[in-house]
Amino acid sequence: MANTTKTYKEEQAGYFKVLAGLLLLTALTFIQPTMFMESATFTVQMLIGTVKAWLILMYYMHLKGEKLIITFTYFSLFIVLVFFVIVIGVDVANIQFAELNHITSGDTAHAVSETHGAAHAEPAHH
Amino acid sequence: MGHEYVPEIAVDREGQEHKVQGWQDDLYGAKLGFWLFMFTEVLMFGAMFMALTYYFTLHHDDFLIASSSLNRVLGGTNTVVLLFSALTMGLGLLKMRHGDVKGAKLMIWATILLALVFLGIKAVEWTAEYHHGVFLGLDALQAGNEHSKPFGQILFFGMYFTMTGIHGFHIIIGIGIMLWLLKRINAGKVTPKHHILHFNIALYWDLVHLIWVFVFPYYYMIGAGLTGGAH
Repeated sequence: MANTTKTYKEEQAGYFKVLAGLLLLTALTFIQPTMFMESATFTVQMLIGTVKAWLILMYYMHLKGEKLIITFTYFSLFIVLVFFVIVIGVDVANIQFAELNHITSGDTAHAVSETHGAAHAEPAHH
Repeated sequence: MGHEYVPEIAVDREGQEHKVQGWQDDLYGAKLGFWLFMFTEVLMFGAMFMALTYYFTLHHDDFLIASSSLNRVLGGTNTVVLLFSALTMGLGLLKMRHGDVKGAKLMIWATILLALVFLGIKAVEWTAEYHHGVFLGLDALQAGNEHSKPFGQILFFGMYFTMTGIHGFHIIIGIGIMLWLLKRINAGKVTPKHHILHFNIALYWDLVHLIWVFVFPYYYMIGAGLTGGAH
């Protein structure tokens, strides 16, 4: 509740403006895969999602003007980045027997047959 | 959360009485505490999104094919339903803060109704997927049989049912706490001057919406370009 000095009408108008923005972005989400930047669908979809998330956080979740909570949010994102992406990323990149693992190998057809019928066979060579 | 607070009295060595500080009206503390709880939710879903991203890099084509088979019309409708439910929840809080308790209750009921619509659409969607043979435990999603889907698609659908299931569970929890909020309002425990509970439940509902903002494009839209329309 950072803006207690605003009137009811002003705050209500703010909610509807954000709704209009979110609806517009949702429409963009729908048309993007067939209308523009088709080769970068995943990236564009995540970017649209991030803008929607920002609107929700700042206006619906009242983060605008909340310095301490925003600092906490950035700190949590930093922790997630460090631990989940960098630390686990390094671990995953150096996983032993990656080529023998039917989840990490990425070779779907081989993975299924290996899981199904070759549990005791010699390790597969890709 | 009750506001009929009777302050605790502490007596010092000289026998003088002092009121002990009460924290019942500490909106900022309550808000901060709830944000800490929400960070744990973000960490849980964040870990699932990261696992999803990792598998996506490994099974890129399978993920796109699996995504293209989901019903984007139903998923998109649910996106809009949640969007309006976030609005009604926000307007409810606004009305409460400005003294319109009846209007606030009406908005909470509207949010509950939209949440039920979301669950109904999700149930229709899951039922259709079950009849198409795509559901947790069915042959198509078990590796190593003649009906098995490619392994990447098994991973995709496994995570799809897990994450949308956990999200749906959060919607059910949300309905439960909104009903509880209505009960507290009716009992006079949540009022325009003491609306911390209402504020935090609105935050929870926005978090549920926020998670869907990423769940929807990640599952329904990444493969949309393959078919150009919902099945």
